[in-house]
Amino acid sequence: MITLGLQDQNTFLEAVNKKSGANVLECYQCGKCVSTCPVSGYMDFPPREIMQMIKLGLKEETMMANSMWFCLTCSACSGRCPREIDIPAVMEAIRHLAIEENYRSDNKKVKEIRKFHDIFLDMVKRYGRNYELRMMAEFNIRTRNLFKDMHLAPKALLKGKITIGHESTKSAKAIQKMYKLAGKLEKGEK
Amino acid sequence: MNKLTYFPGCSAHGTSEEFDHTLKLVMKTLDVQMEEIPDWNCCGATSAHVMTENLALALPMRNLVLAEKLENKTMGIACASCYSRMKVTKKHLDEHPDLAHKINTTIIDEGEYKGDIDVKSMLQYCFEEIGPEVIKSKVTKPLTGLKVACYYGCLLTRPKDVTHFDSPEYPMSMDILMEALGAKAMEFDFKTECCGASFSISNTDVVESLSGKILEVAKESGAHMIVVACPLCQSNLDMRQPDIERHTGQKFALPVMYFTQLMALAFGFPEKELKLPKHIVPVQEALSHIGEIEPTPEKVKKTKKAVEAESEVE
Repeated sequence: MITLGLQDQNTFLEAVNKKSGANVLECYQCGKCVSTCPVSGYMDFPPREIMQMIKLGLKEETMMANSMWFCLTCSACSGRCPREIDIPAVMEAIRHLAIEENYRSDNKKVKEIRKFHDIFLDMVKRYGRNYELRMMAEFNIRTRNLFKDMHLAPKALLKGKITIGHESTKSAKAIQKMYKLAGKLEKGEK
Repeated sequence: MNKLTYFPGCSAHGTSEEFDHTLKLVMKTLDVQMEEIPDWNCCGATSAHVMTENLALALPMRNLVLAEKLENKTMGIACASCYSRMKVTKKHLDEHPDLAHKINTTIIDEGEYKGDIDVKSMLQYCFEEIGPEVIKSKVTKPLTGLKVACYYGCLLTRPKDVTHFDSPEYPMSMDILMEALGAKAMEFDFKTECCGASFSISNTDVVESLSGKILEVAKESGAHMIVVACPLCQSNLDMRQPDIERHTGQKFALPVMYFTQLMALAFGFPEKELKLPKHIVPVQEALSHIGEIEPTPEKVKKTKKAVEAESEVE
């Protein structure tokens, strides 16, 4: 059911507003965000359309969009929005909702972007810090694309741009504990 | 002697070692003692906030708690991404004391979060706390003749209500610092366009397209090089430049240096301290312009836009 503007009947809009701290209803569809966004051309629904979809309560369509995964959080849109809506926070809110409610897009790029973030967070969990070379290698293995960027590796390694060795924080254990506790806290909140 | 709590970020010991190294050199010259946060951890940029809520706050928060223990007034951050995450987290925690208390007590073991440390990017620290005049006074080898395009990227000045620094559209702080070193800062319209930062590994097409446009506009500005203050911007613009050239058929040959490398050079440190061999795009040709005499060096007219942006900074 379409319930434009009727906030109490649009639970999706309510959830997004609550999570993001923004009020999506304030968007008057000028499209400045779209012309400002450096990646709107890659999105199936550019920011303006996402805002309208949330207003219309089109939850399924919004959750399966690639838009929030392409958002770089560069804040160019919110800086220019005449309604001063925190659009990156809205993108973040729908991304978190999609993760929590287990919406998984089949889009290849979205899958790769999600995989990258998983690898990144795994790395930090293990060592407390992050190592670029390892991350690149793991990304290639886990996306079954072993030769991606391999032509850059010899030069980058030779020049010391990327280092092989890595260090851990002394309290990598403390970080692992933090992950566990943060996960528990999130589960408890649901 | 000023004291500063320092957060290097993960890339400082990898891709941006030259930033970390020259930053330490110039801070010594400027009489600033940097105290690195003992046992700091990754701030989570840029993945934690994409995927999680509590962890995205807890990772930077642990660093803030550790930083507050050092009892310096300010914490300086080298990487723009770390800076952004730390600032966003601090703002969120300070605005939501209940949430701050909850995360502090349930996730973080290192002690109490007080929220009393000022977080600045190193560019911001140089501009606001030290100032272009003092920096100018330390110059022994002016960079006269060198034309630079100052690239700030998205996170150093945006969002404005988080960073409270410079203009989000046309910042001038780095330009002013470069002019203090004797270099000429060119008009450059893509100062705050995004380079595609966090897609550096997962979505290289986007990075090449966005960074390609930045290189193109920087080249048109007439600059000999791009100057940056962020390790992600540097590696996207430098390491990916040969690929971008190959895919677009354009030739840029634009080295990408950290503002601290140029400060170190102007302060008289020998070139070997700049770790130039780490650059993928060679730097020497651009540096050879230093010492060239400009026909009318004093009468460079700034456009209205630049003057307006400058007054906004002040």
